[in-house]
Amino acid sequence: MTGAAEVRRHHVGPTSEIVAGAPKLVSVDGHEVGVFRVGEQFLAWRNVCPHHAAPVCRGTVAGTNLPSKVHEYLPGRDGEILQCPWHGWEFDLLTGEHLAAGSRARLRRYPVEVIDEQVYLTLPANRA
Amino acid sequence: MTADVGRESADAETPAIIDTDVHNTMGDLIPYLPRQWHDTWNAQHIGAPGMWRNPRGVSRRDADTPSGGAPASDPWFLLTDHLDRFDIDYAILTGPGGIRLTPDPDYLNAMVSAYNNAFVDRWLGVSDRLKGSIMVNGNDPAAAATEIRRHADHPDMVQVIMSSTTLMPLGHRHYHPIYQAAAEAGLPVAIHPGAEGSGMAYPPTPAGYPTSYIEWHNILPINYMTQVNSLVCEGVFEKFPTLVVVGLEGGLAWLPHLMWRMNKNYKALRDTVPWLKQLPSEYIRQHIRLSTQPIEEPEQPGHLRSILEMMSAEQTVVFSSDYPHWDNDNPRMTLRQIDPGMRQRIMAGTAAELYGLHHKPDPALRRQPTEQVLTDRGLAEVGHVE
Repeated sequence: MTGAAEVRRHHVGPTSEIVAGAPKLVSVDGHEVGVFRVGEQFLAWRNVCPHHAAPVCRGTVAGTNLPSKVHEYLPGRDGEILQCPWHGWEFDLLTGEHLAAGSRARLRRYPVEVIDEQVYLTLPANRA
Repeated sequence: MTADVGRESADAETPAIIDTDVHNTMGDLIPYLPRQWHDTWNAQHIGAPGMWRNPRGVSRRDADTPSGGAPASDPWFLLTDHLDRFDIDYAILTGPGGIRLTPDPDYLNAMVSAYNNAFVDRWLGVSDRLKGSIMVNGNDPAAAATEIRRHADHPDMVQVIMSSTTLMPLGHRHYHPIYQAAAEAGLPVAIHPGAEGSGMAYPPTPAGYPTSYIEWHNILPINYMTQVNSLVCEGVFEKFPTLVVVGLEGGLAWLPHLMWRMNKNYKALRDTVPWLKQLPSEYIRQHIRLSTQPIEEPEQPGHLRSILEMMSAEQTVVFSSDYPHWDNDNPRMTLRQIDPGMRQRIMAGTAAELYGLHHKPDPALRRQPTEQVLTDRGLAEVGHVE
């Protein structure tokens, strides 16, 4: 890459089109990306699970059982966890991190901007 | 046999990938079941309910058919969604894998017969790339042998399948009628897990019942160790020298330990099993095949390579995906970092010999994949796991 990075914007759609639990899938530079709404935030993740390359964004958005004491269950974080549709790996929709202790796996993030109620992915400048 | 054998068969004419464990749904068996069993089918389906539950279900969530049908309920969609998508030449269809034991053998025998008839009608005419397994109630060996003989001449029925859950270890003479019928037909006998601990089965471990699904699923290989050990020690492969037993979905990495322990004890206790004419590990290499999924994922991929060498994996291991179940393996992500010759043996070579699938299917049988096919570039970006 050379020169000052000129940011490209990829238009995803109006904010009203992206509802919690139902990501919008878009194709960017040959990759599928899932754009999610979590509360008032918009986040975008590549649609490839780092484990077995499954279409992770087609999984279920749910909560999870939070770390707890032995034989204690603490359900929480509803709407903030993405479960891969294959093996059920749980990813934090806010950070992309895999929830299992000891795992370094994480989803690949795309920066998101909201301008005038329109959602955009911000991408690096075109490769010369 | 060495990995060199892979080279001669790795060409354009022979299959590149044979998937040895693909779970077609059973569908509605009412049209195939005698009337007296309709209520039981509606209540029990494949037998007892499972005792442990995966909170996310058993099937993948992205494999429903376009019309909203259950995963693997439509042979045409299965061909595109799985075989074409991953360049799989042949799939060995395994249905539910086996039945869960309930007390009435008459129902279980009628149910497996109905399933086999429905399967032949609904699945085997669709494509030469789909091969079948004759499902039997292993707990009733005489009935199982009859069922095997009923389908043995069907050219696309390539093996017998039964539950790995049994009421005695599989080497026991009680089960020999099954092996007799399979050997006569020239068919391997596959076993499949899932019924361990449910219905009238014993607890899935000698120490009792695990608590959670994860605890149950982790320890399933203990039963496979029991079955392989029993088949060898009881002389099944001396009595049926052409028989091959395929352990589906039971793991791999425990096999070297079992081989070594059996060999050590054989050297001291040979006279207690005088019918054995060679080391136990040799019977295993010649007569036992294990399928890859769910492939072990060690922190260091090299550790799995070492274990594959220890167990002569070019001879003993066959690829399986377990589509469309939750713990399925992606053929493009499985065993990417092993010797290419050994990989070819695992992905297709050994299964081609086992099931007589020596030639690639007619290319005209391919359809257009319905899903985005992941490119090598995409895979290179994600893969850190074997």
